[in-house]
Amino acid sequence: MKETSVSQLQLLRSRRDFLRSAALGASALALPLALDLPASRLWAAGPATVRGYGVTTSQLKDWSVMAQSIGVQMEFTGTGNDVGVFLRDVVAAGLGDQTDIFVFEAGTQDILGPRGTYLPIDTQHPALTLWERTPDEWKHSRVVQDAEGNQWGVPVIGNADSFGYFPEKLGLDPDSEEELSWSLVFDDPRTRGRVSFDRTWGYSLPMAALYLQSKTGKPFSNCADLEPEETRQVVDFLIERKRAGQFRTLHTSFEEQIQLLSNREVDVINCWEPAVREVNLKLGKDATRYAYTQEGYYKWGHGAYLPVQAGDRDNLDAIYKVLNYYLGGEYRALQARDRGYAGPNMDLAVAYARENDWSAEDIAALEETERKIARKFSKPLVSTTTPSNADSMEEQWQRFLNA
Amino acid sequence: MSTSIPDTQAQVAPSSLAAKTPWRALLGRVDWPLALFLAAWFLAVVVPLLGVVVYSFFETKSFFTVYTPSLNTWASIFDSGRFEVILRTLRIAFTVTAVELVLAFAFSLWLAKGHASRTVKAMTLALMTVPFFLDLSSRTIIWRALLGENGPLIPLFIGIGLVEPGSAGILYSEWAVHFGMVIALFPTMMLPVYIAISLVDDALIDASNDLGASPWQTLTGVIIPLSLPGVIAGVLFTLGSAMAAWVEPSMLGGGFVNLLSNSIESAYSALRYPVLAALTTLIMLILGVLVLAFVLIGRRFGDLSSSFRILRS
Repeated sequence: MKETSVSQLQLLRSRRDFLRSAALGASALALPLALDLPASRLWAAGPATVRGYGVTTSQLKDWSVMAQSIGVQMEFTGTGNDVGVFLRDVVAAGLGDQTDIFVFEAGTQDILGPRGTYLPIDTQHPALTLWERTPDEWKHSRVVQDAEGNQWGVPVIGNADSFGYFPEKLGLDPDSEEELSWSLVFDDPRTRGRVSFDRTWGYSLPMAALYLQSKTGKPFSNCADLEPEETRQVVDFLIERKRAGQFRTLHTSFEEQIQLLSNREVDVINCWEPAVREVNLKLGKDATRYAYTQEGYYKWGHGAYLPVQAGDRDNLDAIYKVLNYYLGGEYRALQARDRGYAGPNMDLAVAYARENDWSAEDIAALEETERKIARKFSKPLVSTTTPSNADSMEEQWQRFLNA
Repeated sequence: MSTSIPDTQAQVAPSSLAAKTPWRALLGRVDWPLALFLAAWFLAVVVPLLGVVVYSFFETKSFFTVYTPSLNTWASIFDSGRFEVILRTLRIAFTVTAVELVLAFAFSLWLAKGHASRTVKAMTLALMTVPFFLDLSSRTIIWRALLGENGPLIPLFIGIGLVEPGSAGILYSEWAVHFGMVIALFPTMMLPVYIAISLVDDALIDASNDLGASPWQTLTGVIIPLSLPGVIAGVLFTLGSAMAAWVEPSMLGGGFVNLLSNSIESAYSALRYPVLAALTTLIMLILGVLVLAFVLIGRRFGDLSSSFRILRS
């Protein structure tokens, strides 16, 4: 009861402060527009600074590019993607006192939004000029909204994850784009003992549920947030497959994904797409492929969220400029080229690359990324890092590990 | 009235003095530094542990602790197999410690009392400290390549019958985890044992030999008892590190050797603090029973404290 009251007070305070700041911000923004000052000249007068905290790979490799473009300098502190650590930092350590923007995987907004830790996004903010043209599948996705449809974040990057494989081991053409079944990971005798499975319960359990419901024809209520009895069914299946010798190993890190494929120690691995890219740089083009699947994908996305304390600061306009930058072509193109990540408004990335004389090969790669995402997003997707049944899912996952 | 007051004072004063005297005497006998240390230890160690025990009776729902007492968390410890994780961790930690003790004692004895030159001793000790300056992950990951199915050590393992020809090697097994931990923790055991053996006076060994003792009698009657402080320190350092091992089971166990630290990390990822509290409570209980057993068994073989007299000299 007390907690609810505090949360409500925080929300009321944040809304009042937000309206006040928004009014001030609109005035401040109108001034340079009226004077027709370019961003580079504003920066010459001294760039505004925004402090970010979140997943390391959401960063540009060189933030000075953004400072040159929008006149806002970024001071970013990188972290891993452990949701427990993130929640502890934000809630217990009060990180919002020093941070302007959090960038993290989907799900935290379900907990921290209604509790009054995040500031609601003002989609009408004058600096958020790309909001209207951003597709609904990104800006209204569960990455940035809670279950009630409240807007707590702006989409940053995302992808639909499946598994990497060696085409020749499965008798497939190197350039095949055939949709493959997740049975290659869980069931197929051809891959028995040659599969590596991710050891992270929040990542691997939904994928297994997605396959199992397709196999049995009995859908689960929500593959990403399984009820305790449903989790038990999925784990029973995984234990049976583990005992049958399906898995060669369980991996834990991005570096391990690359090593397992590079050493050809496994034939199939549920992994991140950049791992396949890295391996192909070593083993040659199309040595490994990232699967298009029959059953669906694990959709992940990073959102940018604002701490409620940001509403009290005088750099709220600069913060919204950065949120808008996340939706723009420059950030999208650089992230796609440097990390292989997709995100909203890929067409702007292609336009940016053309305007800045990128090579034809790089432009084609961006267009391919745009096409790939559209194809994957047409399939069933599972997603969330903060399931409401996290406790029972984590517990059952231990049963799988100890079996 | 005026005369009764001194009378009363005269009556009270001796009895008050009598009451204070033994109290003062008692205070005078108290070892204040020890008392302060025990009080600080109670506040810094015992009170938090009691808090941990209490916390284990709460549970976590959707990443937040529910402060309603229940046995649900304790039930989940057994249902999820976490209790087996504790037993597995203890089994592996004790095995590794025992292997380390045998290897490190023999090596230290040779280095301290053998015919190794000063240069060899200095170089060996310097080399033993090198691992402390290197990240454990970097040191462990190399074994993945060496122990894997195409690793250069596989023919050797096939030769001694450890693995079957054509199998996938010993990687991702308890064998590999034991192997990695023995390699990583060798300096932790060896250094204190070496220091203790070095402190054993050569004159005592010579005297033992002069009195007709066999090498085995000198070892068991002179060197081992006098080096026991180093052995105990080495065992404690190694056992503690082995119980907290995280890198070796992760990298060499391939997820199939789930140890305590891995299990704790998993619970932490869902902010299940009550599970962590229950695991800590269980470990403390198990270690308490083991220490008690150690003391009781030790009493049957002599006075353990006498071994530490060497440190006073």
